[in-house]
Parts: sequence; C-alpha cells; structure tokens
Amino acid sequence: MTKARPRAAKARLIAVDGVDPAAVLAEARAALGSPARGGISKWDASGVFQELAVADREAGAPSPRTLLLLYAADLAFRLRWQIRPALSEGRTVVAAPYVDTAIAFGRAAGLKPAWLTNLFRFAPPAKERRVVHARAAGVKDGFVGFSSDRMTAGAAGRTRRRIVDETAAQLRHRFDRRD
Amino acid sequence: MRPTPAALRRSARAHFTDPTKRRGLLVAFEGPDGSGKTTQRKLFKTWLKSEGYDVVTTKWNSSDLIKPIIKSRKAVRALSPEEFSLLHGADFRHRVEQVILPALWEGKLVIADRFLFTGLARDVARGLDLDWVLKLYEPLLWPDLVFYFAVSPVTSGKRVTAMRMPNFYEAGQDVTQVDDPVESYQRFIARVIREYESLALIFNMITVDAEQSIGDQHRQIRQLFIEGQQRAWSDWNADAVAEWLATKGNGTER
Repeated sequence: MTKARPRAAKARLIAVDGVDPAAVLAEARAALGSPARGGISKWDASGVFQELAVADREAGAPSPRTLLLLYAADLAFRLRWQIRPALSEGRTVVAAPYVDTAIAFGRAAGLKPAWLTNLFRFAPPAKERRVVHARAAGVKDGFVGFSSDRMTAGAAGRTRRRIVDETAAQLRHRFDRRD
Repeated sequence: MRPTPAALRRSARAHFTDPTKRRGLLVAFEGPDGSGKTTQRKLFKTWLKSEGYDVVTTKWNSSDLIKPIIKSRKAVRALSPEEFSLLHGADFRHRVEQVILPALWEGKLVIADRFLFTGLARDVARGLDLDWVLKLYEPLLWPDLVFYFAVSPVTSGKRVTAMRMPNFYEAGQDVTQVDDPVESYQRFIARVIREYESLALIFNMITVDAEQSIGDQHRQIRQLFIEGQQRAWSDWNADAVAEWLATKGNGTER
C-alpha cells in the first residue's frame, strides 16, 4: 500500500510586503500562525546588505538599480536555502518581504516596470500575498529604509522620506489594482 | 524641479555629439580565459597613451563595493547560477555608474577588460536564459568597439592550465559536477566559447584571431581602432547616460 504524503499538500508560500520591517514581521508571524507549520524567510538572509553596510564610503554609493540587483541575489539565496527546501517538505513559508516591496521601491526610484518584472522572473508566485500599510515614522531598517539611506539620489531631488512614501504608495497601488 | 527623462536623454545626446570636443570612447576586450586579451589590452593602452589619449581601464568583477561580496561567496563556493549572475550584474552596474560613464563624460577613452558579454556567455553556459540575463544589464551601454579574441577550447585550456589550476567557478565545477578542475574547465570553456561565438555574431563584434602572434594581433587592433573610432555615438546609449545623469552628484536629501 502506498502511503499518502499529507504534508506535501500543506506546502504554502505566503508573501508579506511593506516598508516597515517591524510591522511586516508582525504580520508574517500572524500569517504563519503556529511556528510548527513552517518558518519566516527574512530580508538579507545571505548577509549581502550587512556587508554593504560596512563598505568604505570611497567605494561609492549604490544606485537603486544596483540595490535591486543585490536584493534579487539575496532573494535567490533565500529561495535556495530557505523557501524551496521548506516547501518541498510540505511546510508553510512566509517570505517577509518578498518581491512586491522591491518592485514598489524600484518604481518609486523611477525604474521601468518591465525591468523590475524581468528581474524577479525566477521567483515563484506566492499562493497568498499580503501588504502591510502601517509605517513607523522614519523607517530605518529593512530593505527600503536601508536603501533610501545609502543610495545615490536615484531619482535626483527626491528626499529620503519621499522615496519611502512613494514606495508605500506604489505598494498600495499594486494591491488596490489587484483587488 | 527634476529634469524629465526626455530632457536627460537630450543632454546626453548633446554632450556626446558635440563636434567641438573629442568625445569619450569605450572599447571592450572580450574572449575566454587564455585568449591573450589582457596582454593585448596592456599593449593597446600603452600605444593609446603614446598617441595622447587619456585612458581609463576597468576590469570585470572589480568594483570596490561589490567585489568583496562576490569574493567571499566564491571562496566558500556558495553561489548558485542566479546569484552568480545577479552579483556580477550588480558589480557591472556599479562600475558603469562610478567609473565608465564619468570617464566617458570627461572625454576619456575607457578600455573594458571584459564587458557585459562575459556575463552573458558565462551565465548562459551555466544554463540561464539569455533574454533574462541580457535584460539584467539594461539600460544597455554599447561600446564603440568590441574586440573578440577567438581561440579554440583546446588552446584556452592549454594556456590556462599551463600557468595555474583553474578555480572552482572558472572551471565551471558548480555546473559540470566534475571533480577534476582541468577536465571541468575543458568542458565548461567549450560551452562558454560556443556562447561567445553566437554573441560575436549577434552583436557585431570584431573578431581577432587570438591564435596569431602577439605582434600581429596588436597591429591589427591598432588598425581596426583607427578605422572604428570615427563611428558616430550610438543613440542606444541615451537611456544609460540619462539614468546616470539623474543619479549623479546629488546625495539623497535627508
């Protein structure tokens, strides 16, 4: 008799996106429910941005496009080591953040949607997508806060706060359109 | 007020087509390991300087910001083909913005020892989709001249292994699954050269027979450069320059 594999049926990728990493993490925990169901895959699991943070100033500030290529490299790492293995074991993975935050940031910085869509073509679609609109004043951490702090002007003349606000607005727009 | 992308493209065109100034030129040297392009690049640079050119050289995977990130991951053999591709794409973009475009804008001659075609050939040889990889490099910056140093896989293998043992990624051991670096290199470089040869046709590179003597190659390159440097600035580059103009100078206001 063949044994059924009930756990495989429960495999589920949930994406939680937003500009405020604390609010995103809280929503990710809520989406996961019990830790026994699976886990949360967070930004910079590969440590790329941690290394970027300690780079010499003389190395030059990265542009939004460079930061997004690095975000995609980090996401490829998360998919390989965290997300795909857990899904193959029939577990739930909450990717917090996933691709929508990065795409919204890219749009806020003036990059074309076609380039952003192509960049993340390797990432499988999430079964469920959630967005967190909450935003603490002066978001410092997470991809959006980190990038807004360190990047070249990106869209010259835009203030840091405006980049964060526009990213939040782009996220709202992406999800409103979907609804 | 922020200039529009169209206004920035106009500025780029006006700058690079100004007939009163010597415009910046970008010359790329491409080819597999062991094709002798670095030797030719050095000879070419020496000659250009003697001719009065202000020359800047940029090498593959050399940005101060991204190179350490790639190096630490290569050391522990931790890169998948996608990560390898994306990190090299990031390194390239950073050099375009920090080294290549500023030098071209100042009217200098930039020699690129490997350009984006290296990324394309290696990534496709690793099994990635050409269209996906090519788009990572957008907005594209096309060199004025691309010299492709053509050698056979056997010659490349002989020249490289005569000097040193190819490293893990150079030998393509991440994708061949072959334990012997020399054997893996031989298999992998054959794939890379096949991709290069397609790219050389698609992108109209100037093929140099890198099995000729060093002197013959150098004379050929000089001649081809003299003929090719008069080419008009490619308007395909307007987007890349406009994006750089939008980012340069101003740090994000706080």
